[in-house]
Amino acid sequence: MSKDYDVCIIGSGAGGGPVALELAKAGKSVLILEKGPWLTEKDFYKDELACCRHSVYTPQLADEKHVIEEQYRDGSWQGESTEESGWDFWNGNVVGGSSNFMSGFFYRLKPKDFRLLSEFGSIKGANIADWPISYDELEPYYTKAETEIGISGQVEQHQHQEPRSTKAFPYPPTTEHPIVKHIDKACDQLGFTSLKTPRAILSKPDMGRQSCEYSGYCGSYGCSTGAKGSSRAALLDRAIKTGNCKIVANAKVVKIESDNKGNVASVKYFGENNIEKSVSAKVVVVACQAIETSRLLLASTGPKHPNGLGNNHNQLGKNLLFSAGGSGTGEFTYSKLDKLTADQLKTRGPFVNRNLQDWYFINDKKMGGTAKGGTIDFLLRHPNPISKAMRLKRGDDDKLVWGKELKRKIKSAFASTQGLRFEVFNDWLPTDNCFVSLDNKVKDKWGSAVAKIRIGYHEHDLKVGEYLSQKAIKVLQQMNADNIRYNVSGSPPANLVAGGCRFGNDIRTSVLDKDCKVHDVDNLYITDGSFMPTGGSVPYTWTIYANSFRVADIIKKRV
Amino acid sequence: MVQSTLLNRRKFMQLLALAAAAYPLSGLAGSRQQALASDSVSKEEPWLTISAVQEHLFPAEKNSPGASDINALIYLQNMMVTPDFDNEKGELIHNGVAWLNDLAKQQHSKTFIQLDSTTKEKTLRRVENSNAGSRWLSTLLTYLIEALLSDPVYQGNPNGIGWNWLQHQPGFPLPTENKKYFKIGKNRYRHTKA
Repeated sequence: MSKDYDVCIIGSGAGGGPVALELAKAGKSVLILEKGPWLTEKDFYKDELACCRHSVYTPQLADEKHVIEEQYRDGSWQGESTEESGWDFWNGNVVGGSSNFMSGFFYRLKPKDFRLLSEFGSIKGANIADWPISYDELEPYYTKAETEIGISGQVEQHQHQEPRSTKAFPYPPTTEHPIVKHIDKACDQLGFTSLKTPRAILSKPDMGRQSCEYSGYCGSYGCSTGAKGSSRAALLDRAIKTGNCKIVANAKVVKIESDNKGNVASVKYFGENNIEKSVSAKVVVVACQAIETSRLLLASTGPKHPNGLGNNHNQLGKNLLFSAGGSGTGEFTYSKLDKLTADQLKTRGPFVNRNLQDWYFINDKKMGGTAKGGTIDFLLRHPNPISKAMRLKRGDDDKLVWGKELKRKIKSAFASTQGLRFEVFNDWLPTDNCFVSLDNKVKDKWGSAVAKIRIGYHEHDLKVGEYLSQKAIKVLQQMNADNIRYNVSGSPPANLVAGGCRFGNDIRTSVLDKDCKVHDVDNLYITDGSFMPTGGSVPYTWTIYANSFRVADIIKKRV
Repeated sequence: MVQSTLLNRRKFMQLLALAAAAYPLSGLAGSRQQALASDSVSKEEPWLTISAVQEHLFPAEKNSPGASDINALIYLQNMMVTPDFDNEKGELIHNGVAWLNDLAKQQHSKTFIQLDSTTKEKTLRRVENSNAGSRWLSTLLTYLIEALLSDPVYQGNPNGIGWNWLQHQPGFPLPTENKKYFKIGKNRYRHTKA
């Protein structure tokens, strides 16, 4: 039977882009269905209202929402629609996905991350599993992503440095903020190894993209120069140029239809003006970001998949991962510094690009000997002025503050300090209390059941987050920061999500095989972060890009 | 463009209906249209009261801008006719004015704008004691802060007066008239059922 396309990819973010580019370059016909609009550099401005105060790059919650299930004191789990709570779990529904809005802190996983169970043993209440592939199998694709996405950085030897097949990054580090010399000095005095954080940001023009312009507004903003290595700027624009790849924006896939053999027959979606359409392909790739990928497969029942596509062993949507850890800030008061230092700290534009991985693996009695730790990343406090001032609207007694008092508070917060922030990334242990299911009572505007997300966490995550936060606080103290605050919690960051369709060798405990093909479907692959059985202790994007390049090679061999 | 104009128009009519219900005798419809057309601050209710509340919440001082300097009222009016503006919020903004003036009349036999500064403060703090009153004031504060710090293209923060006061360095490029947030990817604002 003839198919409309060789490959149909649902979702155009970091999981979809590599497959699209590789297959299009190989002369295969590729169709991408993207739910959101196709925005480009010409649509991205440093406008806080657009990036962060209105749903411009994400759906209106009245139209599309999630239901978040939290555990109450009595032990019960209760769901609340995000339309009611305002807790938005969308991350960029546009061509290129949320990679348009990332900060681009790029880290590889380390070899031991691929065998967390074997290396560190089990933890009660956690579903830790080794990966079915090793670091060595993914390494060539991490390297490939460096050149294809455009990753800038500098390799530095340290005790937990992962092996590399190339000596250096293809691009030198981006320009650094003057505060880094203070961070480096403090770390040096403490005996900590401060490292330069690789970024998915071009430090010089290349591949038809401009270099970073250092506006000082990066994370949460779309990039207007193309320097940020979004799936769109780095991959899809090139895929389109081959003439073999077509992107249909504003196309919402509602179901993947499967045949009597259990294989994908067609993809059903609503296109422009909400007209229902159907398309077929030899291979279908799903990359809608973890939550929506699980939701789509759960909704895609068929004759051989009565509980959802690939869910004959009730694994679909299970072991969802966020990123555990915490964050904190310290302030540097200009009036306490000499003028030169104060002026340097006021600089807006260059990046901080510093991280600590001394405790990526911990060997400390306080943590019961050897344990998995994580990463500490340093960055400036986000420059968004409205959100900064909004936090001053209420006093410590929760009463509203207004009048001259409010003006004093705002003036002081803006003009008298620079804030240095740290973020801790440690493993979000997979548990039975963190998963995606369908909420049949709450529907989106197309009438489909929305994703219900249970967001339970493992207590161990907080222990590691606290341990690492204390190390970060030492750095801030050594730098003589004022007003040091931090917070470690089990509240999930909605923008760091993976899992739900873990890959493995056993169909009873995983959704995907080691090639990221759904075990009992011949022509369905998943290439977003859903495949990860454990997440490592870094942001996921580089690993998602690398794995998608790996799967692209596998798909290339069969179509 | 056509769609966005239509949506603006629809929202605008809804707002008028709401406002008219709260102020049947104010002749608001005409003045509202005029305010939008000319960008001049309306001298009619409820805007007169809202403007006085804004000035109280964010007063002008010798070396720092106040509500009128940052075009707080025009900014609020602009936001209230954007395509994604929440009707319930519009209702709250209008109702709050009625609560406030009822309270002022009840206690001082005056409208809010006729009160002295100390009495204004006391009256607003009393309004804050109810949940709805607190939400109303919080909403007005939010739009004040936005008028102070959002891009001048939205007509608050004229010539970056708020940014300058706070020595805030904005990013670049900055949005242009045709790239206001509600003009980007505007199919987002189809609230139609499939």
